[in-house]
Amino acid sequence: MLKNYFKIAIAVLRRRKFFTFISLFGISFTLAILIVLTAFYDHLVSPAYPDHQRSRSLYLNSIELNHRKKQSHNQGPPSLYFMNKFVATLKTPEKVAISSIFGPTNTYVNNRKLVINVKYTNTAYWEVQEYDFLEGKPYSMQDLDAGSRVAVISRETKENYFGDAPTVVGRYINTNNEQFRVIGVVDNVPKTMLYSYADMYLPYTLSKTEMANKSYNSNFTAILLARSEKDLPAIQSEFAAMIQKVPLDSAQYDEIKGSVDSYVASFTRIFNGGGSSAAAVRRLIVYVSIFVFLFMLLPTINLVNINTSRIMERSSEIGVRKAFGASSGTLAIQFIVENLILTFLGGIIGVLLSWAVLSIVNGSRLIPNAHLGINFTVLGASVLACIVFGLLSGVFPAWRMSRMQVVTALKAN
Amino acid sequence: MLKHLFKLIWNKKKQNFLLMTEIFFSFLIMFAVFTLAVYNYQNYRRPMGFTYDDVWALSYYSKDRSDMSEDSLNLFYETLKQAIGNAPEVAAVSYVSNNSPFSMSENSSTISSGKQNVMTDHYSGDDDYPRVLQPVLLSGRWFGREDDGAKLAPVVINQALKEEFFPGEDAIGKVMKVGDREVRITGVVQNMKDKGDYKSVRPAIYQRTGKGSYAWLSRMLIKVKPGADAGFESRLYKQVAGIMQDANVEIEHLTEKRVVKNSITLIPLIIFGVIAGFLIINVSLGLFGVLWYTISKRKAEIGLRRAMGATGGAITRQVVSETMVLTSISVVTGLIFAVQFPLLNVFFMPKGVYIIAIVLAALFIYALAVLCALYPGRQAANIYPAVALHED
Repeated sequence: MLKNYFKIAIAVLRRRKFFTFISLFGISFTLAILIVLTAFYDHLVSPAYPDHQRSRSLYLNSIELNHRKKQSHNQGPPSLYFMNKFVATLKTPEKVAISSIFGPTNTYVNNRKLVINVKYTNTAYWEVQEYDFLEGKPYSMQDLDAGSRVAVISRETKENYFGDAPTVVGRYINTNNEQFRVIGVVDNVPKTMLYSYADMYLPYTLSKTEMANKSYNSNFTAILLARSEKDLPAIQSEFAAMIQKVPLDSAQYDEIKGSVDSYVASFTRIFNGGGSSAAAVRRLIVYVSIFVFLFMLLPTINLVNINTSRIMERSSEIGVRKAFGASSGTLAIQFIVENLILTFLGGIIGVLLSWAVLSIVNGSRLIPNAHLGINFTVLGASVLACIVFGLLSGVFPAWRMSRMQVVTALKAN
Repeated sequence: MLKHLFKLIWNKKKQNFLLMTEIFFSFLIMFAVFTLAVYNYQNYRRPMGFTYDDVWALSYYSKDRSDMSEDSLNLFYETLKQAIGNAPEVAAVSYVSNNSPFSMSENSSTISSGKQNVMTDHYSGDDDYPRVLQPVLLSGRWFGREDDGAKLAPVVINQALKEEFFPGEDAIGKVMKVGDREVRITGVVQNMKDKGDYKSVRPAIYQRTGKGSYAWLSRMLIKVKPGADAGFESRLYKQVAGIMQDANVEIEHLTEKRVVKNSITLIPLIIFGVIAGFLIINVSLGLFGVLWYTISKRKAEIGLRRAMGATGGAITRQVVSETMVLTSISVVTGLIFAVQFPLLNVFFMPKGVYIIAIVLAALFIYALAVLCALYPGRQAANIYPAVALHED
């Protein structure tokens, strides 16, 4: 039966080539655009090298200080002082990784300028973030405490600074007019990963400005790794209890707010201010869904339009089948199946198209070090979109067709 | 004639409904595209208001120096500026606030004059600021040494802020309030597009930095003479990093920062444009296909008309005008939504932008509809009455 429908579908597709082209064009491009957008989204939010443990991590990138009377308001990343004194001492997390947001420094190699983005971290950072060490190893607690001038650099920095030297551990790198001994080289991280990206990693004790800073605001972020996913709410409530007890200089601020969130929520919070993070994520999902719906609306209406014309063209076939006893339901199912076949055909072309677009994006280094790919989430989403698309554009024409009277249908041509 | 056309469309309202919905949504999408395009193009056409070639931004992120005495701070930073300015490759140097041209940071608050309050961008620069960025002075003068003893702090405002507060009069010498502090206007400059080529006009005020403000400054702009190369840049870098041992120093070129800043505006616009372009191709193909199909269904009717003596041109005209009526219904429906934007002042864009965008979107949709109807119309005109009538 299904094989028969398939044969009919192919025959119909080949009869009106122009209509087939329009349908396939619409479906494949819509899907290609959706897949590309999903790939970007997926790249931004799903766990990836080196931040593999996102499912049991909580993130902190911003706290809010307010003076309610003076209406002053200060929102931004906490300081190293705040992290060490309040966040790192929490009991429930297994490990707390502390690192600064990367900051640019310049270095000049053979009259060529090199921008090296530096990140100051603690030692737990190397245990929470699972970097691939191409050579060497991370700095130890002793290095940190002693303030040793050691650095872990990225593969890209190694290539830019040392050229094709086979191994660079033990050699010195000069930036910001200071010299550091390289003790490790890690694989590159794309710049879109705020918590992980840098060209050079240094023990936080080398940050002279930050060691002297006793205020709560600066440019540090923290990742709180839980022992298991079950511990996440406990960490959040411990943090909430802790932040209420943070002493404040009442002349400046009389209120401090902040919370540790999942990866996506830690960013939506920046736009959402102090509101609940779950609500912000929900709102994001609603906005994205509205966009996707509106985007798919036009191609779908178009497809419905074309399908209606196509099906009406086949009214004599419908008439004959009805006259021989096929029910409206059977016919409707046939047309929906036909339409699904068409949509899947378009889907395959769409996947190929998006693959081409993504390779161009990867090749153009629009996001350096990022490798966007069609992974299973993306593919799953596109298959789902195919089905929705096929049903959406198939149901209406099928319904109209099934209401047609045998006599009209037969008479029409 | 028109009434007759409407009747024809109305009689097939079921068939035409989907087509009209499609044109309606296309109109709305084109309205959005044109609004963004017109808005950005109008901003792009305005002059920059300053020069940025050969200007470098040198940032130093140092530790908190507020515990140093003001005198030693002044001495330290003035010596630093002199040391940089003395290099033969340097034309001028000015300390600036963090929101220097093409940077990501912005700084604004309300300023009042009389009872009026206006949201204003705040910039700071020292007396050498005009030598570095060369803003276009419209009246008055930039602040300088002569303001040292003045009772009220001197400020320079831009054209947009002047229009808000003192339309049609001279602003020089007038007093405004920045927070609780009174300031006196010494000059008016042309609006500067310091946040990229597509920045909109915003009221701005330029305040004088100098003694007392060094503790919170962390950037200077350096105008270099043509021919200053990477070799000089690395020497400059070493010099500054040597003087400020505890600071993180970075040198950036404004020309490069401008490209980055512009791309932040352009990339979303390009993505949006590509998506809209795709949707429109989709719609036009669909429109074309459906019209073509309906024409072939109406062969008998058209054949009859030709037999009655209608010329080929008349047939084409009928098909095209039917499509125009169809489009008009959709566009008018779309207009009801689109005019809400200028009426309710959504997104705070100038009303003119919306109106131009509406006109362009309507023209575009009509042109698209006519183009899609022409070929099927010509096809219809070529129907031979004998063949068409014979078929039925």
